[in-house]
Amino acid sequence: MIPEGTRYYLPPEAAARLELEGRWRELFGSWGYEPVQLPALEVYDPAHPLAERAFKMVDKSGRVLALRAEFTTAVIRMVNGEKLNDRLYRFQYAGNLWLRDSEVGLGRLREFAQVGVEAVGASSPRLDAELLELAWEALKTADLPDARLEVGLPALVADLLAATELEEEKRRLLQAAIERKNTPELAELLAGFGVEGELARAVLALPDLYGGPEALAAARRLALGPAAKSDLDWLEAVLELLPAGLEVLLDFGLARAYDYYSGIHFRAYTPDFGLPLLGGGRYDGAGAEYAAGFALGLERVLEARGLPGSPAAPEALALDPETARQLRAEGLQVELAWTDDIEELKAYARRRGIGRIVGQAGEVAL
Amino acid sequence: MSFGGAELVIALPKGRMMADSYQAFARAGLRLPEARGERDLWHGDGQLAVLELRGADVPTYVDLGIADVGVVGRDILLEAGRDLYEPVDLGFGVCRLSLIRLPDDETPIRRIASKYPRFTQAWLRSRGMVADVVKLHGNVELAALVGLADAVVDVVQTGSTLKAAGLVEVEVLAQSSARLVVNKSALKLKRDVIRPLIDKLRQQKP
Repeated sequence: MIPEGTRYYLPPEAAARLELEGRWRELFGSWGYEPVQLPALEVYDPAHPLAERAFKMVDKSGRVLALRAEFTTAVIRMVNGEKLNDRLYRFQYAGNLWLRDSEVGLGRLREFAQVGVEAVGASSPRLDAELLELAWEALKTADLPDARLEVGLPALVADLLAATELEEEKRRLLQAAIERKNTPELAELLAGFGVEGELARAVLALPDLYGGPEALAAARRLALGPAAKSDLDWLEAVLELLPAGLEVLLDFGLARAYDYYSGIHFRAYTPDFGLPLLGGGRYDGAGAEYAAGFALGLERVLEARGLPGSPAAPEALALDPETARQLRAEGLQVELAWTDDIEELKAYARRRGIGRIVGQAGEVAL
Repeated sequence: MSFGGAELVIALPKGRMMADSYQAFARAGLRLPEARGERDLWHGDGQLAVLELRGADVPTYVDLGIADVGVVGRDILLEAGRDLYEPVDLGFGVCRLSLIRLPDDETPIRRIASKYPRFTQAWLRSRGMVADVVKLHGNVELAALVGLADAVVDVVQTGSTLKAAGLVEVEVLAQSSARLVVNKSALKLKRDVIRPLIDKLRQQKP
């Protein structure tokens, strides 16, 4: 028995996972993102963004440890711990993460794998555009050409809410209503908190500001302070740098973790699959001075793509090691016989769908 | 998903709220396919598919993207804790979630019975109270009458059922009405269909 929310990956699924991870790693490598490997065991820190949801355990000295629940924080800790702050670093990672309480369902597990990148040490619209283009390439690499990237600007939400001068607790209520596009509740809250006029109209407009380039134009028409305007300038600069063919969706109501993302936040969706395939953004100041990145959910992407067909059987069964070596040298996938019982071998080959049995004396008729 | 290749899949709760939803969607210019037979699990006309579900299951179907949109009471959303968009208050199915006790019972609450255990726990925490929460599936008021619990958190519509049972509504914890919920991916990728639907449903709000 294995715990809920964990899985065995059998052939051919395990092979598909490794193959996809390999493709992404190669892609990220070709963009200059160097692999790093991080411990799965971390020192528990109540300030960790997923502290409550992480698995915890006590080690021999009585110290509380947590299983890695997220990669970004782990990479930032590594950067700070190793003092990698002298230049821009581009890192890629792949590995498992664990959460105690994930609702188990389609593409949702308690043990799951992510592959992603972080660019730490610099901040510019060019870097943000690079990450968006790389995310787009990663989706195409995963055979999801119809997937769409969606970009939000939590910094804009944060700056608009800051302009209300409400206390933190009330801002959080507004943020939650914006994130759920719960316009009725948002209107009630704003009225209840005494936020009125142009500012109230701007906040109330956020949930419905999603779609194509027209959403950006509509956001421009809102009554915005200088901070919010410069957020929009940054986003516009990023969008102008994107390559032809990459048309992102916009959603100015993306308010999740608005105190964490200092600029853009992005996700990706593909038709007929309800969950986001990747997530990322810029989080300058959240642990490191400048940092941005994204992570792809391996299970999500494979689920969205559909599971691979029946496992590929080896092409031949060799009766002796020498024959096996020769056939492998010809580029075939070859299994070695484990017995001299030719009838048993024939039955095995038929069951597995192996087309040939070959020995020193040549082919054996199946 | 499948459902005869429908462009839009709609999850509706069985019963009264389903009939109200059909009317609201019709007024918004979307004629939902009629039920063909009693035993059909879903109704489709090629373009649209309607899934007939238990209310509590609607958030799950929409969150996971099996259905693109759904209708569900806010009381159920509060309990489900799912990550959904809820852009429209449809105005029907109005009720409230209330704390219910025997008249004049002012003893400390040590055990609460409810169909909404998660919501109840969150409310207790927000008040700094500690009590056991017992999950029940129906006739929750009975729990207060027979002493299974010293209070009940349940849906109240008019309050007449409570009165008949000799119980009192001590405090309203949340207001509820039917909400349109939308899957996060569908809102964006099917916005040609869903955006006008949201606009029209908002316009007809009482």
